[in-house]
Amino acid sequence: MPKVLIIDDSAVMRKIIQRNIQQSGLLVDEFVEAGDGREGLEKATANNIDLILCDWNMPNMTGIDFVKALRGSGQKSNIPIVMVTTEGGEAKIEEAKNSGANGYLTKPFTPDQLKSKLGNFLLVK
Amino acid sequence: MSAIEGVIESIASDITDATKTLFETMIMLDLKYDESSLVDETQIKTDVIGMVSFTGKYHGVIGLFCSKKFALKVASTMLMTELNEFTNDVKDAVGEISNMIAGNVKTKLTAQYGDMNLSIPIVIAGEGLSITAVNNHPVVADTTLSCFSKDPWLMTPFISVGEKFNVGLLLKESGK
Repeated sequence: MPKVLIIDDSAVMRKIIQRNIQQSGLLVDEFVEAGDGREGLEKATANNIDLILCDWNMPNMTGIDFVKALRGSGQKSNIPIVMVTTEGGEAKIEEAKNSGANGYLTKPFTPDQLKSKLGNFLLVK
Repeated sequence: MSAIEGVIESIASDITDATKTLFETMIMLDLKYDESSLVDETQIKTDVIGMVSFTGKYHGVIGLFCSKKFALKVASTMLMTELNEFTNDVKDAVGEISNMIAGNVKTKLTAQYGDMNLSIPIVIAGEGLSITAVNNHPVVADTTLSCFSKDPWLMTPFISVGEKFNVGLLLKESGK
């Protein structure tokens, strides 16, 4: 069963994302949380993570730096990453994809938008 | 209308749109709003301020100003649990609301004026606190926070669940 890592400096947002996934019918076995990119990098490499959801603007290590670091690490470097962020616009989406992100969702989002985006990476019950 | 006034008017509309979208998607509470206006009074009284600053061709601050009662209601809704104490989760929710409004406004500004950078949100909350602003006017508040600034805020008033709140904007052209 899939294990999902949620990286966001807002604990409230991590809870909202987790609740929306649980209510959506998407199959997730376990959630792992991290408050910034640095902690996210540690948890991504220490756990068997199947999907990462990552904010952009965070202290210590930003989301985009996290994506570059994970993709360049050689370890677990192919885990799918979906950016979930207030940063919008074509340029940011392009930058994220060029850095190795596999998907992009702009906050605020509806539960259906989240389900639709994550449905590319997770099975539905 | 000067160029900067035109930009401010446009951003006021963006703030209204961003706040409406946020309430329709993630907060799911009723929302009414009124015309934005420049608040010339240098003092803004509130209990809670969520602020996000941005830099680029224009720089400034977008701030959410609300009562503790509203902050508790909106955080309770976001977390789907009744919150009665002003916990870190409530501050976090206010910060995230400010962040999502500012992020949407920033995206529109970026499309028009080039890349801009957004700060991480700051939330100030409390009673009997005082802050000193850029023009060094001392501020002493009894039971509310007071926010002083040299420049007027463009305030957009909203009402949700019977509680008033404002989303404010401070804006300047960089290098001027």
